[in-house]
Amino acid sequence: MLDNIPILTLLTFSPLLGIIAVLLIPKEMGHWLKTAAIVSTLVSLVLAGWMFIGLDHDLEGMQYEEKATWIEIALNQEAPNLNAAEKLIYQFNYSLGADGLSGALAFLTALISSMAAFASVHIKKRWKTFYLWFLILQIGMFGVFLSRDLFLFFLFFEATLIPMFFLIGIWGFSDREKAANKFLIYNGIGSAIMLIAFLMLINTAGFSTPQEDPTQPLQLIYSGDVGTIYQNLQDPGSYANVHHDRVGTANPFYMGLAMKEWIFLMLLIAFGIKLPIFPFHTWMLKVHIEAPPSVVMIHSGILLKMGAYGLLRFGVELLPEQAQTFALLIGIVGVVNILYGAVLALVQKEFRLILAYSSISHMGIVLLGIAALNVTGLQGAAFQLVSHGLISALLFLIVGSIIERTNTTELNRLGGLAKAMPFMSGMLLVGGLASLGLPGMSGFVSEFLAFLGLFETMPVLAIVGALGIIITAVYVLRGVLAITYGQLPEKFQEDGTVLRDARLTEAIPMIVLTAFIVLLGIYPSVLSEPLHHALSSMLARIGG
Amino acid sequence: MEFTHYAWLIPVFPLLAFLVLTALGRQMKGIATGFSILAAAAAFIMAVLVFTERLGENVVDYTWDGFKWIGIGDFAIQMGYEVNNLNTLMLVIVTLVSLLVNVYSLGYMKDDERINTFFAYVSLFTFSMLGLVLSINLVQFFIFWELVGVCSFLLVGFWYTKPAARAAAKKAFIVTRIGDVGLFIGMLLLFWNMPGNSLEFSAIHNAAHTGALSANVITAAAILVFIGAVGKSGQFPLHTWLPDAMEGPTPISALIHAATMVAAGVYLVARTFPLFEESQAALTTVAIVGGFTAIFAATIALAQNDIKRILAYSTVSQLGYMMLAMGIGTMSSYTAGMFHLYTHAFFKALLFLGAGSVIHAVNEQDIRKMGGLGSKMKITMITFAIGTLALSGIVPFAGFWSKDAILTEAYHNVPVLFWVALVAAFFTALYMARLFFLVFTGKPRSDMHPHESPAVMTLPLLVLAVLAIIAGFVYFPGNAWFGEWLLGESPGEHADMTVMILSTVAGVGGLLIGWLLYGRRTFTEDWVEARALPAYQLLNRKYYIDELYDNGVVKPLRGIGYLLDWFDRYIVDGAVKVLSGVMTGTGRIGLRMQNGQLQAYGLIGVVGLLILIVAVVGRRYFHVG
Repeated sequence: MLDNIPILTLLTFSPLLGIIAVLLIPKEMGHWLKTAAIVSTLVSLVLAGWMFIGLDHDLEGMQYEEKATWIEIALNQEAPNLNAAEKLIYQFNYSLGADGLSGALAFLTALISSMAAFASVHIKKRWKTFYLWFLILQIGMFGVFLSRDLFLFFLFFEATLIPMFFLIGIWGFSDREKAANKFLIYNGIGSAIMLIAFLMLINTAGFSTPQEDPTQPLQLIYSGDVGTIYQNLQDPGSYANVHHDRVGTANPFYMGLAMKEWIFLMLLIAFGIKLPIFPFHTWMLKVHIEAPPSVVMIHSGILLKMGAYGLLRFGVELLPEQAQTFALLIGIVGVVNILYGAVLALVQKEFRLILAYSSISHMGIVLLGIAALNVTGLQGAAFQLVSHGLISALLFLIVGSIIERTNTTELNRLGGLAKAMPFMSGMLLVGGLASLGLPGMSGFVSEFLAFLGLFETMPVLAIVGALGIIITAVYVLRGVLAITYGQLPEKFQEDGTVLRDARLTEAIPMIVLTAFIVLLGIYPSVLSEPLHHALSSMLARIGG
Repeated sequence: MEFTHYAWLIPVFPLLAFLVLTALGRQMKGIATGFSILAAAAAFIMAVLVFTERLGENVVDYTWDGFKWIGIGDFAIQMGYEVNNLNTLMLVIVTLVSLLVNVYSLGYMKDDERINTFFAYVSLFTFSMLGLVLSINLVQFFIFWELVGVCSFLLVGFWYTKPAARAAAKKAFIVTRIGDVGLFIGMLLLFWNMPGNSLEFSAIHNAAHTGALSANVITAAAILVFIGAVGKSGQFPLHTWLPDAMEGPTPISALIHAATMVAAGVYLVARTFPLFEESQAALTTVAIVGGFTAIFAATIALAQNDIKRILAYSTVSQLGYMMLAMGIGTMSSYTAGMFHLYTHAFFKALLFLGAGSVIHAVNEQDIRKMGGLGSKMKITMITFAIGTLALSGIVPFAGFWSKDAILTEAYHNVPVLFWVALVAAFFTALYMARLFFLVFTGKPRSDMHPHESPAVMTLPLLVLAVLAIIAGFVYFPGNAWFGEWLLGESPGEHADMTVMILSTVAGVGGLLIGWLLYGRRTFTEDWVEARALPAYQLLNRKYYIDELYDNGVVKPLRGIGYLLDWFDRYIVDGAVKVLSGVMTGTGRIGLRMQNGQLQAYGLIGVVGLLILIVAVVGRRYFHVG
């Protein structure tokens, strides 16, 4: 049944449903706007669930592929003797596909988006515009994870920046505009570097020579098709890998070792800014404090994952040998991220900053998993993407509800919330414990797999990085207990009504996210099985 | 019916109780506690059935590993459960103490408004502890190991409004986590070195004995595993959390911090014993840490004034005893260690519950302010006296036989450890005498109105008191039943008259001196405190270990944190600001276009697209040649 339906296109553009509904509803009707947006994200969630469940775990490569040629541009041929091809074409393709990795992240996107839509009930102004940007952002995120074309990926990637810029800049806290600008500058630089790397990839490895009829002149088609690039790079005899002087090739540019290394390094930096890796992380601190919590759920829960996804999909999958060359660097950066983020989280006085630095620390685990360059490590990295997405979404969901009631998340102005809000405090504790990698929840599985993977290849780094586990426990408990344990501050003791426990609309997403966190912790096979082929094929070339 | 095959039911009962209490606790005010007790009782009955079944001839170990937790590449980590005599013993201990503590808590926690939460946590703990005991491989073990840790954390911090409880809970979690990282790394090391990447305990047993693991790997793995045990079992230098954990409700101290969870470290060493057997270095480490902890904690207990802290240091010391036994490394010392774990669970739980009864009656924990409670609390006093005699190693109470088994092994194998353990035994009797006489005899030293505790609290005391008397009779000179059952072979003769006499002298001597100092005299001020000030101060402040960690680790780490915070704010972010300043300076024109209008952004997008096309098309001009 799924074969006949363009499920990925439906999924990617399912937020359009909500966009149309939101456009039709007058802007004063906040309740209806919220409902429309929530329903729209739920539709996406159902589609994403359908897609994810339908994935065949035994198949290698992409499933549900949908491809259409979008624009073809004939290229000039100024030097006719250059090569054998008669006709050169640049082809922009609309091409989507999903494997276990992108399927899982697309599902994560749908899940966290709908939970964030619930959490957006705290938004106080300009609902209509808010939900429009929100849903456009969702299209961008789906597109990023499902694109099978570099250029399309780039478009979707950029399509997440602009909505995010406005979501931070309009609905954020006091210093929101500065935060939005900083966000845009950093990510703009990252995108520029990514674009250059992509162009280099397309120009050297993005060609194909479809020639059904030998009597017809040879055609040379350039495109950003990831499958084509993968094939060309994988085949040592392909034109991309062999100097044309020696073989007389259709392709004028071959890809030398140095070029591959440069491309990998550029991808590492471009996606590293997004991840973020030290020292490119300061922009995301600002976003964590200034953006509205429901937007941070998306930012920390999904957008950061785009960096790691890009690194895996285009860095490791296309250039595994170069990943091997840089593995030590990635591992060291990962350990630095873990320890630097953890030690800094230790001394923050603002809970959201603790969580921001904790994100840096936790993304270090992703880097460790990647640096391991074995299936175990990559599983750990991919698991951590999903796990951290769920956990940070849960934590910021609760942060949003706390801010709504207390107007602060500064540790020394809070305390004893467990008395007034037992359910929410309990959830915060659950989120904290998940974040510090308590077994039985998803965070442990990813930590275990990432460290296990790294231990095989770089045991010393794994041991040093594991020390971060201790510091994580310290800062998480310090933050969570400062808010929930102890006595209520006097300010709230007088007026207890401010601190009412979670409403149903707040409790539902908390319970749903927790359920997924626990499910992944108890039965990780639900994620590791679909991931398996996607990840092991990345390493096929380096015998991992 | 093969009860062994249904052993998985044992942890399921308390798990169900936890789930029901968590989901419906608020709706079922009165019956919630009953649900938890019922589950504990069912688990206990099931455990006893399994135990009885395993008393017969020719019982075989049973393993089920049908749950595929995760598959990675060519290997998979299976979960399941395993039943052998070692963990059957643990099952009985855990379910019995849990059941008694459940009943006791009905009285002790009666007036607490969060009593349902308390019982939910206790059920969760019981489930986790039983899961730990039944685990078939290290990963599964580690999962439950952390879960019991988090239950301990939740229950230590149960009275969350108290700052001391919050600090103690945090400390309990973090300090044990330091040990856990050791175990975690040990797990990683074993995984990559074990044949077939198997972490199953049975596979570890085989690999250690068949030489499939290199000597260095065995030593490293054993020591890393032991680091985990050190954290959980409160061994030096990670012992500091356990006395602080006394901030939790007293039934919890009995269940988690005396009888079961803290003994899990010893159980872990027992479970991976073949690794230790193959490495003399690891054994020596275990023996030294255990022996040192035994005497070190016993001396601290001499100078504490909080009734629960004295017992906590006593627990640390007794766990040191068990580790010492494990560290000797023979099969009969292994048996002795497990035997002590088993008797200790009963008499230490008895002592804690007795202390709880006292605290319940007088709402005070400082023994200097107590006195003369015995006349008002007869059952508590008598049962506490039995516990004291058992812990002090007096014939024929349970503690005598298990302590004697350890001392005999030490005497024959490592005489130094014997003398250390003997002195520790003397101190043990001394601090217990001090505790007992200051609390129950003499005249009240403050205004208090003690009363005997209700039957739900005294009944568990009586049951445990009976066990503290008779539990030792399964294994004494001339009767090696316990050892034969545990090992499946004879552990060898372990009687030695010299040892028995010396240990009795130490025990009786300690009690006698304690009586002379604290029982015979009418107490006015602490005699020791007044005369031996510097030494007393050193012990009273627990050798300043907490201060050392605070100034040596915590504060420097925080200092680094502040330093990096400054670095992050002004250097990392500053460098970027300079960079972005240059960029915005050159890009003024571009910025003017960023006026927030969608059209402008669309335009930028189109321009970007054009650049891309030009780059693709135009590159041919630049690269030709």
